[in-house]
Amino acid sequence: PRGLRLPRGARASWAGVTAFPPRRYLLYASGDFVKVHSVNTEETVGLLCGHADLVTDIQLNPHNHMQLYSSSLDGTIKLWDFMDGIPIKTFTVGSRLLALYALASAEDSVFVVIPKKGERDTFQLVSVKLTKGAGQDLEGKELSVVLDGVGASPKQIAFGREDSYVVSVKDVNLQVYFFKRKLLNRFSLSTAKTKGGDNRFSCVVCHPKEDCIATGHADGKIRLWRNFHHKKAYTYSALHWHHDIVMDLAYSLEGTRLLSGGVESVLVQWHNESSCQKDFLPRLGSPIECISMSSDGVLCCTLHTDNRITIINSNLRFSRSIQGLIKSRDVKTGLVVDPRTKALVLNGEPGHLQFYSLQSDQQLFSLDIVQRQYIHQAGLKQSDLVKVAFSARGTWLATVEESEEVADPELQLKLWFYSEETQSFALNTRINTPHDNHITDMCFRDMDELGDDSLILVTTGRDCVFKVWVMVGDSDPEAHQSVSWSCDFVGSYHNYQATNCCFSEDGSLLAVSFEETVTVWDSLTWDLKCTFCHPPGNIRNICFGRLTCSKYLIGATDYGFLCCWNLLTCALEWSAHLNVVVLQPDPLSEHIAAVSWLSKESSLFVFKPSEPWPVYIQRNLCKEKILLAAFVPRDEPEMISSEKYLWLRKSQLFFLTDTQELMTLSAKSLEERLTPSSKQLAVEESLPVTPFSVLLGKHRRQQAQEDTDLGKPVVHNRQEQASPAVKELLHTPAHVLPSASFLCTIFINSLLISKENKSAEEVADEVEMESEKAEDESDEEDVTAMEQEDTSPMELLGEMTCKLSKSQEKELRKIRKMDYSWLSAF
Amino acid sequence: IGCEDGSVKIFQVVPGGIQFERNLDRRKGRVLCLSWHPSDTHIVAGSIDFFRVIDVTSGQTVQRVMVNHHVEKAKRECVVWAIALLSSGTVVSADSFGRVQFWDWEQGTLAESHTVSTSAVLSLAVSQKEDSMIVGTSTGATYHLQLLPVRLGGLEKRWVRTKPFQFHSHDVRAVAHSPTALISGGLDAQLVIRPLMEKVQKKSYDAALRKFTFPHRRLVSCARKARLLLFQFSQYLELWRLGSTEETGKDGEVLPLCRMPEHLVQLKSKGPEHIYCSSISPCGTWLGYSTASRFQLYRVRCDGDSVSLRKVPKVPKLLPPAYQLQFSANSESLFVASARGSVHVFQLLEPGGCKHLHTLRPPSGCSEAVYLLAPSADGHWLAAVSGDWAIHIYNLKSFKHHCVVPNYDCAVSALAIHPSTNNLVIAYSDQQLFEFSIPERQYTSWSRAVQSRGLHRAWLERDSPITHITFNPKNPSHILLHDTYLLCVLDKSLPLPDDSALLMNQSTLKQLPETARKRQLHAFKICKKFQPLLFMDLLDKNCLVVVERPIMDFKTQLPLPVQQKKFGT
Repeated sequence: PRGLRLPRGARASWAGVTAFPPRRYLLYASGDFVKVHSVNTEETVGLLCGHADLVTDIQLNPHNHMQLYSSSLDGTIKLWDFMDGIPIKTFTVGSRLLALYALASAEDSVFVVIPKKGERDTFQLVSVKLTKGAGQDLEGKELSVVLDGVGASPKQIAFGREDSYVVSVKDVNLQVYFFKRKLLNRFSLSTAKTKGGDNRFSCVVCHPKEDCIATGHADGKIRLWRNFHHKKAYTYSALHWHHDIVMDLAYSLEGTRLLSGGVESVLVQWHNESSCQKDFLPRLGSPIECISMSSDGVLCCTLHTDNRITIINSNLRFSRSIQGLIKSRDVKTGLVVDPRTKALVLNGEPGHLQFYSLQSDQQLFSLDIVQRQYIHQAGLKQSDLVKVAFSARGTWLATVEESEEVADPELQLKLWFYSEETQSFALNTRINTPHDNHITDMCFRDMDELGDDSLILVTTGRDCVFKVWVMVGDSDPEAHQSVSWSCDFVGSYHNYQATNCCFSEDGSLLAVSFEETVTVWDSLTWDLKCTFCHPPGNIRNICFGRLTCSKYLIGATDYGFLCCWNLLTCALEWSAHLNVVVLQPDPLSEHIAAVSWLSKESSLFVFKPSEPWPVYIQRNLCKEKILLAAFVPRDEPEMISSEKYLWLRKSQLFFLTDTQELMTLSAKSLEERLTPSSKQLAVEESLPVTPFSVLLGKHRRQQAQEDTDLGKPVVHNRQEQASPAVKELLHTPAHVLPSASFLCTIFINSLLISKENKSAEEVADEVEMESEKAEDESDEEDVTAMEQEDTSPMELLGEMTCKLSKSQEKELRKIRKMDYSWLSAF
Repeated sequence: IGCEDGSVKIFQVVPGGIQFERNLDRRKGRVLCLSWHPSDTHIVAGSIDFFRVIDVTSGQTVQRVMVNHHVEKAKRECVVWAIALLSSGTVVSADSFGRVQFWDWEQGTLAESHTVSTSAVLSLAVSQKEDSMIVGTSTGATYHLQLLPVRLGGLEKRWVRTKPFQFHSHDVRAVAHSPTALISGGLDAQLVIRPLMEKVQKKSYDAALRKFTFPHRRLVSCARKARLLLFQFSQYLELWRLGSTEETGKDGEVLPLCRMPEHLVQLKSKGPEHIYCSSISPCGTWLGYSTASRFQLYRVRCDGDSVSLRKVPKVPKLLPPAYQLQFSANSESLFVASARGSVHVFQLLEPGGCKHLHTLRPPSGCSEAVYLLAPSADGHWLAAVSGDWAIHIYNLKSFKHHCVVPNYDCAVSALAIHPSTNNLVIAYSDQQLFEFSIPERQYTSWSRAVQSRGLHRAWLERDSPITHITFNPKNPSHILLHDTYLLCVLDKSLPLPDDSALLMNQSTLKQLPETARKRQLHAFKICKKFQPLLFMDLLDKNCLVVVERPIMDFKTQLPLPVQQKKFGT
């Protein structure tokens, strides 16, 4: 198990599947995955997972348009059946693969860009011989260098008509290699930057039918090269519309149209290489990074810098867009979970708050907070969103925005009320300059039971005070417009800067950290109850324990200490030496996740405040620094077989690194995640009415009825489990299905109403937990001891799965003995 | 010749003129451009909205093709400004919609259409091999079109617009395609030669872009003794008297004038013809000019402030008229350069008359006209350069051919005979300099030294050729040269610079101490202060006259260029 990059849009590639003309799939690499998006249904229909690192490039297999090659930084090329989401072959190359090219003419080899050995920042284009072997995992070590000194980006290499030559551009040099004649031609442009010109190449594409190369340049020019087999008599013409770098180019299927895009967010279509005939598709929202043409030429898509894919018709009409997580300049708001939609909320477009659904990897909506026109200009001081807080039920949203001015931040605190009618947040109160200096933290009093009247908002500021804001006005909860927020209490402590605030679970206590000290306040009378501190070092994070551990207060200091104070005894319960960067409590359990940053790697520790030893340790979660983390509640508790990951049952943990990669922790290992991938292809619901579908439909309805009858979530869960068995039976391709005798029992089993019994795995889990409690560890964290502990559950895990299968077999045998004669009635 | 009334007339070229042969099929519509088929069987005529192909032998129109199809704004007329008929039977038309179109004239079908510009295409020229062409547009841009294979090694070829060039600010009215260069001339009074790098074998004079604003001819002549300057304009001449000063000053100072320069007279030529050449005698009393058909000689009389011009009667008729006029140093005779390598010598008679004295002809005969003349100061010698670049030297005492300067395969741009040594200094257009001793009939030792050593690279890579040579009477080793951009004093007594030395070192020399300056001195003393330089001559020992023609002077007189939106403005 490792930190797993979440799917986010990346270099996209098209697949117009010719076998089924009405259906088109958009394939795009997204983090470690490749996503299959159905253009017709606008849904993500598949996720190809299996790469252990960033997927750098994908290419359709030119010999079989149902197959896809993908390359990754993990040094492997995978061949997929993307319709079924099955990896067919894996070729291990060894070095990092930065780009991939699959040619129609070369059946048994592909071209990849790899870093040159022994030299930094030099790359070469090599052809990899794809050995034909029986197994799934094959070696692809037969490399032959085609071109040296190529660019690292996939856009900087292109293959010409009928794959007879390859073009590579880098800086101001263009090289063309003709495969048949083994001829290498190099052309250079002048490096001089005269009259605002900049001849550096940015991208290259080749005309599909003619010998013409189109290159994009840093000054916005597009050059069309011809006659390049002559060293001297080569010639080029220029098209110039873009005022800044041409990010990508694409030819239409016949080569009559050329598409170009850049930072202007305008897609330009050039006809017949003429600079006079061009069409524009403006206002695409954000700079275009990539343009890709579908293999049947009907659609094209553009990938934007804010992680969005736009699908565009061939007549240059905007069709639809797929919005992933917007990469904003700086995530100042932190990762916040919207209690209503369970969406991740963070900075999106400048001045906007994006609501990002993790389940669908889609942006739900973008809320304009700052409500000012954003002007793209370097050096301009912009106002941006810095803090966000939701009330417990998501009805209230508090936002803080400030301008980039360091000396005099123009602060605004805004309170938004969720309107059921409009299904969006409406501005309720705006408070100008709530604090005299930057606001460091903000939180609502989370009290589900007491309703809106008890809502309290606390803000802490660098002006050495914390302020308590309450709703005043009409007590009628329906008329929310008559309600406004105002300051109720201002607290301070020895004129220290207030850095963090946090309410206890029942809302009775408020903890505010003032530099080195944590102060605890009674939320009714606003009396200072007690103070804690753990010198030296300022308090970086604080949080209260939850549920059974609500008597504990956890704090992390700058000097690398994690402290747990008992609120009843007002004493330090335990402390550990750990450089905690992120401290995140799980709202649904006692667990608290702490992420540390030590010697260039992030490590994750999950613990309960009541126990000084961690429940879970993951060292070297990732190489990047993790800046933020959030627990997102699961819709239904996941069945987790391994005791080690029990803390992940109710919620999932997400991280955001400094490179703005969103990562999560998966309980399943890589292999486990791979096997069910065949199930993930969405079911086409529009089945024709056949006797078989009637059977299936009845089966489904039956399930639904049972759900309503019993009305218990646990049972519901059990039923849901059965349904995939049927789905699997129906949607797995026939050639990979196990024998019918094996499937029959599962199918029949799914039709039966199972008894309420505790599953074997749960029993096993309990046993495991007890055994762990029996272990007695010292208060101090011992790294080596922890590592040992780390291994033990793994062994147990093996035994457990074994046991499980045995008990299942017993059940299956029982079922076999039953009478199936009633089935004949169908 | 295509006419406004829509007719095409065929003329026959006969020795000494042209002769009308017949009229071809006349149709309605102005004929704006014509092009012959390389085999001379057909002629294509472009007019407004259509072009037609005429069979020369029958005189009948065999095809009429409308060009304004596929244009939405077809209500505007489409003017075919330029047309070309290729040997393959393809007609290339350039029209006012900015299109270059390729037609199969037999079928009357459009093969290809390139919209090269949003403004009109005005001119078109096809290379000899018919694989490349240049078009000029009204925005001043020229475009290069090439016939390129669609697939490498394939037979299918297509015309592709390749490189655009923006060298002109106004209409490009004329273009030409030489085997190695694209030549364009525009309304902005510039001639641009853009070499095709792939056709140029080695880096030489031909391999650089050349821009010409001024003709490489003498347009100003100076009467040294009378201190008069004669300016030649296209339709008139202007005579000015130079101002003078009595004060002296240091380098860089502007001295106050005691007499202002004076515009004496403007002499308009009759008829629409341009003035081809003009000259004023050193004494300032004779003035001659020649147009394409006429040669005129005037007697100038200055009586105090009033100036009178009197036409010299009974000037011998010359056919064809003069290509170059040159008065002798003593103002007693006039040399008229004429066709077939001949130079006529006129004797000027007081009070106002002239007499044909002799005609000098090269012994071997010559088909080209003489375009440059250089008489010696003592009136003994005359050097004449004809169009085949041969320099003939005549003895004026005996009116005999003296000798020929060894042939050098390059155009002569300027030449002059040294007043004291009678050495002929020759400047070629490739920037080479030669000195030829007329009495000894061989190159001087200095010239041989220059040739063996070679001139400085920066000198050879200059843009414009030397247009005038004079000598310093005070120091016989000084030769004064100038081209459009620089004035150079060539001191034969100083060593020649080598390639590592700085050629234009005058400003650095000024900062050096006396001893170091001596070491750094070399033969070329260059001043780039005057730009663009039209004329330079020594009036006397202490006085140098320099004529400058600032480019802005005539740029402002040009019509407004086509309005274009420029990004970022």
